[in-house]
Amino acid sequence: MVAFDKCETRPAHIDAILNGLDRYNPETTTIFQDYVQQQCEDRTFDCYANLALLKLYQFNPHLLQPDTVTNVLAKALTVFPSPAFSLCLALLPTHTQPFPTTSEAQAASQTSDFVESVQKLSRLSTLLESAQYTQFWSTLNSDDLYADLTADVAGFEELVRIRIAVEVGKTFRSIAADSLEQWLDVRGREALSKFVADVCGWKVDGDAIRVPTNKENEARSEVKSERVGVDMFGRVIRRGFEQAA
Amino acid sequence: MSYDDRANARPNLNDESDVEEEALVNDYREQVNFEDGMSELDRTTSLGGSQTQDLQAQLTAAATPLEYQATLETKFASYDNYCSLFHYILNSEGPVDLEVPSYYWAWDVIDEFIYQFESFCRYRNRIARSGSNEEEAQLLRENPNTWGCYSVLNVLYSLIQRSQINEQLAAMKRGEDPVAFAGEYGSRPLYKMLGYFSIIGLLRVHCLLGDFSLALKTLDDIEMNKKAMFARVMAAHFTTYYYVGFSYMMMRRYGDAIRMFSHILVYVSRTKNFQKGGNGYDAIAKKNDQMYALIAICVALHPTRLDDTIHSAVREKYGEQFYRMQRGGPEALPVFEELFRSSCPKFISPTPPDFDNPAVNVDPVDHHTAIFMDEVKNTLFNPTIRSYLKLYTTMDLKKLAGFLDVEAEQLRSWLLVNKQRSRQIRWVEGGLLEGDLAIANDLDYALEDDLIHVSETKAGRRLVDWYLRNLARVY
Repeated sequence: MVAFDKCETRPAHIDAILNGLDRYNPETTTIFQDYVQQQCEDRTFDCYANLALLKLYQFNPHLLQPDTVTNVLAKALTVFPSPAFSLCLALLPTHTQPFPTTSEAQAASQTSDFVESVQKLSRLSTLLESAQYTQFWSTLNSDDLYADLTADVAGFEELVRIRIAVEVGKTFRSIAADSLEQWLDVRGREALSKFVADVCGWKVDGDAIRVPTNKENEARSEVKSERVGVDMFGRVIRRGFEQAA
Repeated sequence: MSYDDRANARPNLNDESDVEEEALVNDYREQVNFEDGMSELDRTTSLGGSQTQDLQAQLTAAATPLEYQATLETKFASYDNYCSLFHYILNSEGPVDLEVPSYYWAWDVIDEFIYQFESFCRYRNRIARSGSNEEEAQLLRENPNTWGCYSVLNVLYSLIQRSQINEQLAAMKRGEDPVAFAGEYGSRPLYKMLGYFSIIGLLRVHCLLGDFSLALKTLDDIEMNKKAMFARVMAAHFTTYYYVGFSYMMMRRYGDAIRMFSHILVYVSRTKNFQKGGNGYDAIAKKNDQMYALIAICVALHPTRLDDTIHSAVREKYGEQFYRMQRGGPEALPVFEELFRSSCPKFISPTPPDFDNPAVNVDPVDHHTAIFMDEVKNTLFNPTIRSYLKLYTTMDLKKLAGFLDVEAEQLRSWLLVNKQRSRQIRWVEGGLLEGDLAIANDLDYALEDDLIHVSETKAGRRLVDWYLRNLARVY
């Protein structure tokens, strides 16, 4: 498992900034912004670096670029289930109120487009994190604003679709094609067959999709035995010496 | 035993051994008996003249809490005092020749410095939110840079860099002599201690600002065990584990959070006898209760067998709430929120608020609570799912949906969520942010269309403990 502060696709100059005090230097904001842009284009994701940018915004609110923030959030959606999205929210200005009560939402979205965008993306995050994939797609398609918010993220829908497929593959050994069609927002049996065969390597069996056994979906019962090491007997051994002396 | 001796001491057969514990208890006793550090400081300072007088006053003030009702002017003055003190320590020609009496003084200075930063930010935000005190609002508006986040971080990072403490700690980790890496400043106790506790201070500041991953990253060079220097100062020991545990919790690494909280709570329960009457006892008792509440939350989100002492203490302090959270469902929501609010750090916003629009200044605690509660809501039905699945080896999805009185589609979502949350990153070795994906639950399942296959991982008999206990009885 790659540690949270590391990222295989991170360029050396970003790594240098992150590990030095320049991560607080407002002048590095543009470098991080370019990096976010790059992640959007080449479909990579570097949570730790993006958090550093959000921190710069937190310290220097006048530098905050709403579009970059929403791009960071949209990118974080593509790695669910993960704490990435909420860690990003934690660094945003508190007036964005990502999860407002209904009346607050109406009041706030009238005040600023930025607040409305953050709230909309948070709604999407909730749907993905609570595995309500059908509602996720219908919400995403319900408002043009969502299309604007995810437009900069190359392959947003495809990335999310693959993530959903991965999660399904961990829980299911086989699943009804109708359900999967809705969860993946793939229209038509043919498109679905193509997607599961090409992208996931799964098999279509009539109305069901068969997921080959993997480590997560085999759900094997086992008995975990105790680990026994010499160190556990340290006290006994020591006492043996002490008494002999 | 000096700090270095302790750190380089040969590793014990068992890290949790009595010897180790005994040494800490002695440290603690010494700490409780340590009453007036300042008088000792008077004797050991070697400077003369009126400048000394001034410096003495500054040193004393830096480690002394402000009065509860301190006015804004006092808070501004206190900030200036810290600035000039740290300026003197950091920017004089060469290292300052000051002997500090103990670890406790260095910890107190850093602790109080951050506490005042925290309470100032919260006060400023409150004034802006209520919009009632125009006079103070005006004063705050005119001084946007007082207690600014950049100057606070600057002090902490400068102390760390001056003392080369990270280099020293890294050397110790490699088993080398830290003195070779200490440099002109870092070889002096004053700089070394201030530098060391500044790392702990940074952990806290990052956490207060909501940057949990950076908070954990800050401790890269510190090893979390009882040999660490922070363990010599009770309050520092306590603070470190609280913030590390909390940061883990916010990164959804509940297993690691529980490990951190349990570690310190077990330690505290063993040293209880020495705490009573000590100064700072109330603060520690309060944090203690907060950590029990946080452990209760973590266990509800991530069922874990707790240490017996911890488990009974949680039941004693939060019995009813603990039970309701473990049951899950909508009735548990207010309990989660209440316990989270009362035990989370006092989050701050680093920049001056908008004094002209009271409504946009949302309390940072509300902000973080809302974010945390979203995750709680998403996983609210995990306990329900688990309690049913435990009873079966195979189960029809539609039938279970009928039992639960929900749509089949809803149940599929819950099953997916529970499966996802039962996989967590858990620390094994290396930096605090590292870890491997672990299955966090003994209950696992997979769906074959609408048929749920349930499996359970059972723990085998634990013989070592039984053997040791019986051995202790007969020999």
